[in-house]
Amino acid sequence: MSLLQELGAQLRATSDELPTGLVTVAMERLRSATELLNWVRQTSVDPIGVPQLGNAVEHAEHAAAALRLAQDAITAYLAAVGLGGDPGTGDRDWREALKPADEPAPPPPDAAPPPPEKLGSWWRKRVEELTGEAPPAAEPAAPEPGKADAAELLRRLAGGVRSGDRARLGRDLHAVSASSGLALSAVTPPVLRRLAGDLLGHEPRADDVGRLRSATTGRVKSLLPGAPPAVLETLIARVCRAPAPEGAQTHPADSAVTASVLTGVLLARLGRDASSLDPAAPEPLREPDRARKPGNNA
Amino acid sequence: MASVAEVRAAVDAALQQVAESQAAIQAAREKLGEAQQSLAAALDGSANDAVGAAHTSLSQADQQLEECLGATLLAVEQAQTYTATL
Repeated sequence: MSLLQELGAQLRATSDELPTGLVTVAMERLRSATELLNWVRQTSVDPIGVPQLGNAVEHAEHAAAALRLAQDAITAYLAAVGLGGDPGTGDRDWREALKPADEPAPPPPDAAPPPPEKLGSWWRKRVEELTGEAPPAAEPAAPEPGKADAAELLRRLAGGVRSGDRARLGRDLHAVSASSGLALSAVTPPVLRRLAGDLLGHEPRADDVGRLRSATTGRVKSLLPGAPPAVLETLIARVCRAPAPEGAQTHPADSAVTASVLTGVLLARLGRDASSLDPAAPEPLREPDRARKPGNNA
Repeated sequence: MASVAEVRAAVDAALQQVAESQAAIQAAREKLGEAQQSLAAALDGSANDAVGAAHTSLSQADQQLEECLGATLLAVEQAQTYTATL
């Protein structure tokens, strides 16, 4: 390897390892928190931190944009010194989003057990409204479900969506705690962007909104008959980095559930299994010159 | 019908998401610092405009992340003050 090749490899590695994935994770968690607090404060004059969280999201967006500019500048430099044309290691954002969160420190031995979750019935009620599937009859002594890993839950839900089984989707959603379910809205956006990019054959752009809408709306609606149409529209607009439609306030569960179903629909369109959403899975083969037709079933 | 316990639980769930975002921001800033050092070492002495642009963008990213973290701290404080009044 020549000195110049070595410099090029080092710069590519630096560019690939820029923390775009972590910034995306932070941004989506902040969005999810904002959505939830906004719902809580709907009729209150107390801002409960919502404007500050809005500022935080904006700063995270600017940081993500600055990182992309840095990557572009490194690519431009490599091209200027005659080292252009070598692809990087691909989009890592979705892998970062699906990595399991660090385990929290174990509580001290004499600590009281954590209080049971108080949002279980609130979550199940909305899941029933969205899916049309009633929660299973609860056993009187059944404990509230514990915290589930969001990535694992997403894979499970996407598997149910692929099979088109609304009853299974309802059961899977009823079986998790509200906090586990709500966490889905933070892990899905980079996954959706990646899958949409694979379906379209290029990075999703604002003018792809119509194509993605026609490729997904029917199937999402059949699985979530109670979901307000604006939720899917907003998700697709975000995937395409297009302005999201202005609209009425939606329930915080809507975005989490709809985004998970959309993930499963996109996987089905791509003919991929839910296990391909493993951050350790090898990169699926991409055929840049042969974009799939989003209107057709894969 | 909603109860104080439910409102508090919803705010707590939101604050949990904020805490996870704060951890991600801190990890991102650490990685960014390493990238800045690596870039400075590799491109020391370069007068190429793209190199200056890369350094500037990385500094801006770090500054934005710092301000993002500051905004989340204010948000958490305000939300906790609110739940204390419930």
